Amino acid sequence: MSKATLDRGVQILKEHIDAPTAAYFSSCVNCGMCADACLFYTETGDPAYTPINKLEPMRRLWEQEYTLVGRIKKLIGLSKPVTDEELGEWSDLVYHACSMCGRCSMVCPVGNDISYMIRNIREGISAAGYAPEGLIGATTRAVEIGSPMGITMHALNTQARNIKESSGLEIPFDREGVDYLVLLSSMEVINFPEYLEAIARIFKQAGKSWTISSEAFEATNSGIQIGVSDIARELVSRVVEAAEKLKVKTVVSPECGHAYTAIRWDGPNLMGRRFSFKVKHIIEVLDELREEGLLKVEGIEESCMTFHDPCQLVRKGGVIEQPRNLLKMIATNFVEMEDSGKMNWCCGAGGGVSAIEEAEGIRLKAFNRKKSQLEHLQVDTLVTACSNCRIQLEEGLEVNEMDIPVVGLTEMLADHLVEE
Amino acid sequence: MNHDKPLGQALREQGVSRRGFLKFCATTASLMALPPSMVPAIAKALESARRPSVIWLSFQECTGCTESLTRSHAPTLEGLIFDNISLDYHHTLQAASGDAAEAAREAAMEENKGKYLLVVDGSIPLGNPGYSTIAGISNLEMLKEVAEHAAAIIAVGTCAAYGGLPHAKPNPTGAVSVEEIIKDKPIVNVPGCPPIPVVITGVLAHFLTFGKLPELDHLRRPLAFYGNNIHDRCYRRPFYDKGLFANTFDDEGARKGWCLFKLGCKGPVTYNACATIKWNDGTSFPIEAGHGCLGCSEPNFWDMGGFYNALSESTMDLSRTAAVGIAVGAAAGAASGLLNRRKKSKAEAAHETVTVKDLQREEKS
Repeated sequence: MSKATLDRGVQILKEHIDAPTAAYFSSCVNCGMCADACLFYTETGDPAYTPINKLEPMRRLWEQEYTLVGRIKKLIGLSKPVTDEELGEWSDLVYHACSMCGRCSMVCPVGNDISYMIRNIREGISAAGYAPEGLIGATTRAVEIGSPMGITMHALNTQARNIKESSGLEIPFDREGVDYLVLLSSMEVINFPEYLEAIARIFKQAGKSWTISSEAFEATNSGIQIGVSDIARELVSRVVEAAEKLKVKTVVSPECGHAYTAIRWDGPNLMGRRFSFKVKHIIEVLDELREEGLLKVEGIEESCMTFHDPCQLVRKGGVIEQPRNLLKMIATNFVEMEDSGKMNWCCGAGGGVSAIEEAEGIRLKAFNRKKSQLEHLQVDTLVTACSNCRIQLEEGLEVNEMDIPVVGLTEMLADHLVEE
Repeated sequence: MNHDKPLGQALREQGVSRRGFLKFCATTASLMALPPSMVPAIAKALESARRPSVIWLSFQECTGCTESLTRSHAPTLEGLIFDNISLDYHHTLQAASGDAAEAAREAAMEENKGKYLLVVDGSIPLGNPGYSTIAGISNLEMLKEVAEHAAAIIAVGTCAAYGGLPHAKPNPTGAVSVEEIIKDKPIVNVPGCPPIPVVITGVLAHFLTFGKLPELDHLRRPLAFYGNNIHDRCYRRPFYDKGLFANTFDDEGARKGWCLFKLGCKGPVTYNACATIKWNDGTSFPIEAGHGCLGCSEPNFWDMGGFYNALSESTMDLSRTAAVGIAVGAAAGAASGLLNRRKKSKAEAAHETVTVKDLQREEKS
């Protein structure tokens, strides 16, 4: 195949200027409200980080290619063609300084889904060869090894053996016709092995059958984060094929926000068809078990805690009440963060930002928003339901010398299960 | 009629006192915005004036203009002056008929060649000449013939001045005004449907006194009578300024005599003397009677939108223009949409699958 060039980038951008994108560009009234909704702008004060500005090369291409005024402007030289340098420059804006959290889309007065357009412009910039090295590496590992962090089944098997040895719990692989096909994110395998044990205990208590596919255990989709639909389709089809082969009823996304969005919302669009199974986030599944009375807990957490809403859960999935229902079972001293729920501020590391080494500076700057929220609340424990958020929160708190433990909600519930 | 008797003498013989005659002269002077010093001049001129010969031609009209003059509060000085000009031809008023009537016209034209006044009411059809004829002569032919040796022409009523109701859309007879046919004679338009009688006699008095026609506006109307619009002289104007309007013909505003603007009064765009001279010997005028002005002294007043639509509403039917605009817009939109769709499909068709190997740029050597 050919190497990445400006021509390929422009070609791909033209392809991705679809009807919604065209409608959004023509509706934009340049009010700038998206700026104040974006933590990369609020924490830096740099107007270059205004969300709609991150789309400028694509907007100009849309105007030049698809509007009369733009064609005339291009003809008489008022509108300059998109250049290689420009796409390179914009790479920093769309990859380093956007977590695709969708907060800008929520405030846009004309209803423009800006994060959707960021997803589209990434297609062009990556095809032009300006995707960050870190994301290219992660994507290559995802395609070639099966996980962006290079985790193989070997590592997962080792972990399953360890769980069996320490708790006696069996981790079921490749079982057909079970209730749940559980997916994992690499981070959970490497950083938070307690997640796998937690769901093993919860499903055992609830009497639900589940399995992990040895062919497709990875939930995250680097293809979506880097913005290459061809790769994203390849990655999501691995999960879909595995789920259909094992004839499961439900595929459970792990505690990872973008993985959930990738499978549940982008997945069917990428595949161009409906799935034969349902896709749910682990928190949705747990809340269903609670409703059915299958989640029996004991003991109450007395420390003051708050919940960090992962952006993809609340803004894309509408999963707002579920984590609170679950927390109420085990916590009495629960306080809400300012802007909690669907307008919660993002951690600053989603959408691939955490995979980009050069973005560390701005990523930690963006954390200042969460920092001031937490300083205001003075909580003892921070609970969340996304391992990517969790890593960013842990790192941010450490850098700022704040001593607040960050806990995953699933593990916390597992710790309170009634022992049988 | 005796053409030799001076006007003053003729008036006195009819019982009009000198005092009454001077009063008329003063009224005429003030109406026409002439200085008071002109009153004796008018009186002298009128008194000694030899009654000019007047030929009155009625074409496509309703006789309303003649009615306006003859049925005005009688006996009036206007009426009497009218009686005492030498009205040599007027097919509604004259006793003669048929060949005798036409003979009288021809005789008057011959006798007063170049001196007689021609008064016209009604419009002239340019379509089929048979639409309106007198004694077998088409209106157009008769107008041209009589106008040829006239000293001046007075077009009385909106039909003669601007085409009037026969000219209203779709104008089936091809009606036109006098000034559209006669180009080489002094013409005064005295529009109105009908015009105020004293305006007609005022113009006559001016002609008799000064031997020429009064000063005219751009529509050839005597400025003395048509210099102000109805709205500026209307006694209801203060209500307009205060924003007090009648919204229906029987609401509180209507009963209190508030401004009729919202009920379609065309006073603001109509130039005439109704609000000052009024009608029926100064008794009243339409707005005083509770109805908005129709704008009858303005060209095309019949086709200026509904009489009851406020001036701020569109006087044109925009639905057709809008429909055409929408159709053109939709077609252009669909065409550009198709073009754009084709461009996008082309880009899609040219899509080469991107793999992880395609994400690196070629190193520049």
